[in-house]
Amino acid sequence: MGTAVARRSLQGMAASVGLAMLAAAGPAAAPAPAEAQASASPWHGEYFPNAKLVTQDGKTVRFYDDLIKDRVVVINFMFTSCRDVCPMDTAQMRAVQAALGDRVGKDIFFYSISVDPKTDTPAVLKSYMQTFKVGPGWTFLTGSQADVELLQKKLGVAAVTPASVKDHDTRFIVGNEATGQWMKRSAHEHPQVMADLVGGYLFNGKVKDTKARPSYSNAVQINNQSEGAALFRTRCASCHTLGGGPGLGPDLHGVVNKHPQAWLARWIKEPDKMLAEKDPRAVALAAQWRNLPMPNLKLDDDDAAALIDYLRQETRKTAKPEHTAQAGRQGQ
Amino acid sequence: MNSRRALTRNRLLMSATFAAGLLVSGPGALARGSDVPTGAGPSPLFGATPFTTRMLLLEEFGRQTVPTVDNPNAPRLPQAGGCDRGPDGQQLDQFLAQPMSPLPQREANTAYPNPWAARIGQCVRPLATSAIEGRPPGEFFAHQRWSEFLPAVYAQTATAGARKNSGLRDAYQRHQYSVGEFGPGGLYHNAMPDNSGPGGTTNSIEIRFHPKMPVQGPNALWTFDGTFPPKLMIARYGEPVLFRQYNALPIDPAVNGGFGAHTLTTHHHNGHNPGESDGFTSAYFFPGQYYDYRWPMLLAGYDRINLDRSEPHAATPDGQGGTVRIPGAWREVMSTHWFHDHMLDFTAQNVYKGSAAMMNIYSAVDRGNETIGCNYAAPNNPNNVNLCLPSGSALDWGNRDYDVNLMIADKAWDKKGQLYFNIFNTDGFLGDRVTVNGQWMPYFDVRARRYRFRILNASVSRYYKIAIVTAAGVRVPFHMVANDGNIMEHAVAFPNAQSQDLPTQGIAERYDIVVDFKNYAPGTKIYFVNLAEHDDGRRPKKLIALKDALSSKFDDPAVGKFLELRVAAYSGVDRSMNPADYVKGKLTMVPLPEITPQEIAAARKRTFEFGRSNGTDNQPWTIKTDGGRGLNMDPHRVSAAPSEGSLEVWTIKNTVDAKEPIAGWDHPVHIHFEEGRILNRDGKAPPLWEEGARKDVYRIGGFVDAGQSLQVALRFREFMGTYMEHCHNTQHEDRSMLLRWDINKPGQLVYIPTPVPEWEGVLYEASFVPKN
Repeated sequence: MGTAVARRSLQGMAASVGLAMLAAAGPAAAPAPAEAQASASPWHGEYFPNAKLVTQDGKTVRFYDDLIKDRVVVINFMFTSCRDVCPMDTAQMRAVQAALGDRVGKDIFFYSISVDPKTDTPAVLKSYMQTFKVGPGWTFLTGSQADVELLQKKLGVAAVTPASVKDHDTRFIVGNEATGQWMKRSAHEHPQVMADLVGGYLFNGKVKDTKARPSYSNAVQINNQSEGAALFRTRCASCHTLGGGPGLGPDLHGVVNKHPQAWLARWIKEPDKMLAEKDPRAVALAAQWRNLPMPNLKLDDDDAAALIDYLRQETRKTAKPEHTAQAGRQGQ
Repeated sequence: MNSRRALTRNRLLMSATFAAGLLVSGPGALARGSDVPTGAGPSPLFGATPFTTRMLLLEEFGRQTVPTVDNPNAPRLPQAGGCDRGPDGQQLDQFLAQPMSPLPQREANTAYPNPWAARIGQCVRPLATSAIEGRPPGEFFAHQRWSEFLPAVYAQTATAGARKNSGLRDAYQRHQYSVGEFGPGGLYHNAMPDNSGPGGTTNSIEIRFHPKMPVQGPNALWTFDGTFPPKLMIARYGEPVLFRQYNALPIDPAVNGGFGAHTLTTHHHNGHNPGESDGFTSAYFFPGQYYDYRWPMLLAGYDRINLDRSEPHAATPDGQGGTVRIPGAWREVMSTHWFHDHMLDFTAQNVYKGSAAMMNIYSAVDRGNETIGCNYAAPNNPNNVNLCLPSGSALDWGNRDYDVNLMIADKAWDKKGQLYFNIFNTDGFLGDRVTVNGQWMPYFDVRARRYRFRILNASVSRYYKIAIVTAAGVRVPFHMVANDGNIMEHAVAFPNAQSQDLPTQGIAERYDIVVDFKNYAPGTKIYFVNLAEHDDGRRPKKLIALKDALSSKFDDPAVGKFLELRVAAYSGVDRSMNPADYVKGKLTMVPLPEITPQEIAAARKRTFEFGRSNGTDNQPWTIKTDGGRGLNMDPHRVSAAPSEGSLEVWTIKNTVDAKEPIAGWDHPVHIHFEEGRILNRDGKAPPLWEEGARKDVYRIGGFVDAGQSLQVALRFREFMGTYMEHCHNTQHEDRSMLLRWDINKPGQLVYIPTPVPEWEGVLYEASFVPKN
C-alpha cells in the first residue's frame, strides 16, 4: 500500500498511511478530520496480483509491475484454437489498434491472455500473432491455469458458469492503472468508439482530439441501414472491406459472383465445419489467407441471406474498384 | 460460485463486536476474505448499534424565482483549490446563495469560458476554447418549446465532494422550520441525526452513516451541494423548473476514492421532459461547467387532450387554496420521481457515490395538503379533486409533515469507514449495510395517525421485498397508492391474496404507501424488514420467510430489519384520506389513460430482449431489438425511433437459454420519458399492484412478483430527442445493457447527431440506425 499511496499522492491524494489505522482501532477514537481519513483508490498493487505470465517471445513478466502499472491498457482473454468469436475479437482489437496508431506501445498497451495455456504455448501465440498481423505494442501472454483464472476474477470477467474455456468472458477490459478508472467494453462496438475511450477519456482528455468532425449544422441525412449493412459493419468489417482492398481477409466486393450462393451462405454460417470437412473451396481460401480461420459467428439463415443481399447490392452499386485484391478475381 | 461462502449475520455481528474492541474467539469469528456480498469483508460498525441514529428527512433544494436581468458582475463558480479538489466549501455556499448568473437560455451558453479553464490548463492541457455550459451547443440540444415553457423557478446546486452542511438551504425549506411538525415543538423541527442543538437547521450536519461512524471524506461521496441530508426537489405542475447543476468535482479523475467519474449527466427519471433535459448518457459535462436542465412540468397529452382546460382534475395548486387549470391528461399525473447521474460507463458508481435526489411533484389531485377540497368528502363535486393523501395542512401545498421520502440504498465501507465500491464486480454490486436517507439503520418518530411513505430503491443492484411489522413480528396493514410514483386507479391493500408484503422492489422502483399508526400506542416500535436475500448482484437469490428474517436465519446481512418507527401520540384530527375508501369497487383515485383495443392492435410493436448475446461469449449484458443481434451500448446507435404522437407496444423479455439457468439473471428495465401500462406478464393479467398502475420500471426475471416477459403500451408526445432504455441494475447498464432510442418528429429525416463532450467543447458525430 505504501508505494501506491506515495505514488498516488503525486496526483494529490490526501492519504495518510499512519492515520489509516486510526479508524480501525476502535469506536472510541474520535473521527479524524475528513481530509486525513480519505481512502486512496484501492485499485493498485494491493489489488492486482503480480502473477507470472509468459509472452509470445518466451519472456517471463509480472502482471502488475511489468504490464499494467502506471499504464493505460486494453486487456482481453482469448484462446488461439477458438473458431467462433475470438478471431473476430482479435480482428476488432486490431482495428482499435489501427485507430490509435503509434500510441499503442508508447502510452497505450494491449494484452491478450490465453485461457487455454495448455495449447497456447509462446510459439503458438507467436504464430497466431503473425496470422493476424498484430502490430507492436500488443503482447500475447500465457501462464498457469490458476494465474489466468485469478486474473479473470480480479478483472471481473470470471465466467459465471465456467463450463469450458469456450465460455470465457470476451469483453475488453480497458483502464488507466494510475487513475484507477476501469471499464469493460464489448469487442463488438465500433473500433473508433473504443479508441476514443482509450486514447481520450482515459487520459482525462490530455491528448487533444483532432479528428475532423462535421459541424452539427452540417449534419446530413442518415439513411436507415439495412440489416445486412448492420451485420457487415459489426461482424465482417474488422477483417473485410467492400472495395477497399484486402484486410485480414479478402475484399468482398464481387464475392457474390465468385461462389455459388448456397456455398457462400453456408460459409458465412459455419466455416469451421466446412474446414473440418475439408471442403475444397474452403481449404483453398484458407490457404490463400495464411490459414486465418474464418470465424463461426453463429449467424443463421436469415443473417446469411441479409448479408449476401447486402454484398450483392453494394457490388452492383459501386464501380469495380481499381485495385484487385486477389489474382483471378472476377469482376461483377 | 460454489467456493463463495456466505456471510451470516451472526458472523457479521461477531466481527462487528471484534471491531468494537472485544476479543472474540471461535471458528468463523472473522469473516475476512469472504466475498459475500461486497468482496471486501463486512463494513465495520465503529461501535454503532441499530436504530440509534435519527433518520434524516430529505432537504429541499428550494424554488427561487428566475431573475429577469443578469448581473454583469455576478461571481462565477469559485475556483478549484487544486487539480485534486473542488472549491472551498464556504466560497461555494456563498456562490450558490447568489442569484443565478448568467441567465438560462435556449441554446447552450458558450459565450463565456469554463471558469476553471486556467486551472484545467495547468492540470490537463491548455484549452484553446471552452464553454461555461456543458450542454451540447446549437439547435440539437437547445431547449425545445423554450418560450412556451419558460422556467419560472430554479434551483442551482453543485455536485461536490462531501463536506459539512452550513444550513445553506434552511431558508429554502417550504416549511421554514416554523410550521406543523417542522415548527418548534414538532417532531421534525430538529433535523440533526443525534437530535442535538436547538433545531430548525441542517447547519453542521456532516456526511456520516451514523454519528459513531467516521465522517466521509471529499473523495468518498459526491452529492448535490456536497452535503447531507440527501436532497429533494419540490415542484408543481404548470411551473417549469430550471435545474442548474454545476460540476465542482476534482479535475484529476484519479481523486475519486476508488470509484466515480468526474463527468456528469443527470437523468430525471420518468420526467416528461425534452431530450436535451433527459440526461442522455453521452451528453455529459466537465468540472467547472454547469448544465441547465429545464423540466417543463406539463401534463402528458398537453398538445391533444383537454385543450380547453375544462377538466377540473387537470390543475395545479395556486398557493391560495384554489387551483389553476392546465391542459393535458390528468390521468397521467405524476407524483414521486427521482433524478440521478447517468454517465456512460459510470452510472452505478456515480449514483452510489451520492449523485441521486428525489423529486415530489404536486398537482390538484396530489396537493400535499390533506384538508383542502378533499375528494372523499364530495367525490362528484368538481371542486373536490384533491385526494388528500397524508401530508399536513400548514402550507397550501407540499406539506411533508406526514409525507416522508425514504431513499433506501445498500452501502459498504472500508476499514476506515469510507464508502467502498468494487468496480470490478460487474455481475452487480451489493453493499452489506442498508441505509435510509443516508443513515445506517435509523429510527424515525411518527405520530399515531396516517402517513404516506414514498419508498425509492436507490441501490445499484439490490432488490428489496419489504415487510412492515411490529416488534412482535405481526404484520402492519397498509395500502399502496402509487406505483413508480404514479397514483393508481385504486389503492391496493396489503396483505392481500397475491402478496403479504410489498411487492418486490427492483432498483429505481418507487412505491408510495399509506400506513395508519392510530391503533398503536405511543412507544410502539414498528419495523421495515427486508426479505429479499442476495448472494450476488445478478438477482435476489431467495425470499426469506418473515419469521426467519426476524430471527437471523439468513446469510445476507442486508436481510432483516433496517428501519425502526417509533410511534408518538397525535393530538390532532387526521383528515387525510382513508385509502380503504379507494380500493377496487369503491372510489377511484386516478383512472388509467384511455387506450382502445384498436389502438393496441394498430400499434407499432417492438421487442427488446435482455440477456446473452449470440455466440459463445459470456456476455449477459446485451439488448436485442426486434430479434436482431444482441447489441452493446454505442451512443451513436439509434435502436428505435418512434414518431412523436404515436402509441407503441413494446415487449420486454428476458433471454431464456436452455443450456443456461438464465433465471439466474433478473433485470429491472427502465424506459425513459414515459410511463407505460403493463398489458400482460407472461401473457397473463399483471398482479393487483400493476393492473391499475402506470410503470416506468419493468422487472423481468425469475424472482417473485416478476416473470420472463411483459408487454407495455407507451405513448410518445410533446417532445423529441435522444432517450434511453436500460437495465436499472446499473452495473448491468454500465456493462452495456443500455440502448438509445429517439423520438422523432413525423417525417424527420435527420437523426440527432451524437454529442462527444470534450474539455474544449462538445463535438458531434453522426448517429446511425441499424435497421428501420
